[in-house]
Amino acid sequence: MKDAKTLAYINLYGILGALENLCELDEEASKLAEVKKPISVGIAVKGGPSATLTFKNGRCRMEQGTEKCDVLLPFSSCEKFNGLIDGTVTPFPSKGFTHIGFLLKNFTGLTDILTKYLKADEEALKDEKFFETSTKLMFYLIVVAIAQIGNNDSIGTFSASMIPDGIVEIAIKNSVSAAIRVKDGHLVAIKQKPESYRAKMEFGSIKLARDLFDGNVNAVACIGEGTIEMSGLINMVDNINRILDRVAIYLA
Amino acid sequence: MSFPVYNHDKSRELFNRATKVIPSGIYGHLGPAEGLFIPVSKWPLFAEKAKGSYMWDVDGNKYIDYMCAYGPNVLGYCDPDVDAAAMKQMKLGNCTTTPGKVMVECAELLVDTVNTADWAFFMKNGNDATQGAVMCARAYTHRKKVIMFKGYYHGVSPWCMKKDYPGVLEEDVANNIIIPWNDIPALEKVIAENKDEIACLIAQPYDHGNFSDNSFPAEGFWPKVREICTANDIVLIIDDVRAGFRLDLAGSDHYFGFEADLICFCKALANGYNMSCVCGKEFLKSSMSGLSYTGSYWLSAVPFAACIACVNKMKKLDTPKMFLEKGTKLTEGLKAAGKEHGFDLVTSGAPALFYLRIANDDSLVLHQEWIAEMVSRGIFLASHHNHFINASLTDEDIKHTIEVAEECFGIVAKNHPELF
Repeated sequence: MKDAKTLAYINLYGILGALENLCELDEEASKLAEVKKPISVGIAVKGGPSATLTFKNGRCRMEQGTEKCDVLLPFSSCEKFNGLIDGTVTPFPSKGFTHIGFLLKNFTGLTDILTKYLKADEEALKDEKFFETSTKLMFYLIVVAIAQIGNNDSIGTFSASMIPDGIVEIAIKNSVSAAIRVKDGHLVAIKQKPESYRAKMEFGSIKLARDLFDGNVNAVACIGEGTIEMSGLINMVDNINRILDRVAIYLA
Repeated sequence: MSFPVYNHDKSRELFNRATKVIPSGIYGHLGPAEGLFIPVSKWPLFAEKAKGSYMWDVDGNKYIDYMCAYGPNVLGYCDPDVDAAAMKQMKLGNCTTTPGKVMVECAELLVDTVNTADWAFFMKNGNDATQGAVMCARAYTHRKKVIMFKGYYHGVSPWCMKKDYPGVLEEDVANNIIIPWNDIPALEKVIAENKDEIACLIAQPYDHGNFSDNSFPAEGFWPKVREICTANDIVLIIDDVRAGFRLDLAGSDHYFGFEADLICFCKALANGYNMSCVCGKEFLKSSMSGLSYTGSYWLSAVPFAACIACVNKMKKLDTPKMFLEKGTKLTEGLKAAGKEHGFDLVTSGAPALFYLRIANDDSLVLHQEWIAEMVSRGIFLASHHNHFINASLTDEDIKHTIEVAEECFGIVAKNHPELF
């Protein structure tokens, strides 16, 4: 069972949050984020998350809250916002009508590219660079989704409550790395390699990570095969993995 | 002296074959994932043979095995007396349409041995026993809720797992009440909040959870729990699957000075022959009789014969006393070896089931590195689980273990110049 509120948090911080990484990984996306004057798009979901995406110098940064945005897209419910991501709801700004051009061209262009990577077809994945970018974006999305499920989903919060305080590093060998910081059962995703960790889970290759994300292999089997390595406080990783099991429910 | 480092090529080859036909290759606690083989390359995956305290893997490497198959090896692998009794029974019959008379003899022996036992009911695994005990308590009380202590492990049936485990439903665990270990006020509170709804309290005799030091009951804890359960018509179940017969042949409740209503045994019952049992008080016998609870191999005769030989030999050797002495000698030696190299090796739990943790870092990485070095030099330990002493362990084995430990502590210290 997935609930609309958890999905809204994943959709905002995970999916739209992946625009940050997209602009770093994809040249076309970076060009779309290259604007004469920085522009910030706020998204406020009633009864759910809110955040502002700022586009500047070909980069994108997300911050919580909508206090300083140029354009505001309000949504009356989590379901309505989730409809935006599904493509069934058209947003209408309550502030910043003069920036409608950016929304229609640049912002829509960026989300189209993101969709291409996150819902990649098999043919596109045969291209090595596309495959790598797509998998890295999925990696960041999944790390953020773990944190959001751990903080919002009813079963996820139970798993999160079992995780001792500290930092868990999640990494793909010779590729990307991220962290989840745990404090009193609250999870924060950090999309960069931590300086230190209390527990670590590392996927042996980007191919393995992809197979795991796509549900083609199982983590328990991979640990036996040595393609996933764990170290440190394993009950942290163990409970993160229980949340990871639920990611597919929301991202399917 | 330098001890050779093992390789596990044949183990790996066999594991690769296994993964093609067995989900995850080796599943459960004997497997590399749940068994926390960190890193997996340092561990053997398959055994060729075992004798006494030793196990040889398929690459021909010999180990002193302190996991004892996670408990069943209590006298030594392939104990001649137990095996002879089992073979004798095998020639007479094993899995037969009516059970062998040895079943009655086994029950009589357990009733004479276990302090709280007026009867014995047999199954195969520890999980069968804990589940049977909870069913019996529910049948007797006509209540549904079960109290357990935080960090509990009572098997793998859905009711005793957690709601976030794969394949487990929230409904499966909806009647569980979890309270902190050693916390009498918490127990009194949940009983008051769930008046006349609690069927039983099930607990291990002391907290031997993983990833944390094992913890004994506080002074007066168990007698007070006993008093509260009696006053509230709550069946008190001791899950002695892990610790049973290693602390006290009369049961771990007897060791800690109280009487359980039901007590579950498995691991040390028959030195590796597959059986478990619930022993209980007379007032619960009728409820146990009424359960629809059975299995194809539950009343097979060979394990009963093995159990009789095993229990009699444990009595003859006074194994709890032996385990205390051997476990104390070993753990003190390991601590001293660690101290030589600047390691704070914390040992906890009963020496017969010692738990180890290097306390120099809070991530347990140093501990994992030390354990991996030990295993790859022939001392089979677990990363984060209590260990087991068996009766065949010799002083020479303990001496050798400590010598290997000294070398391994030295290696880990050398690998971390920033810390030592």
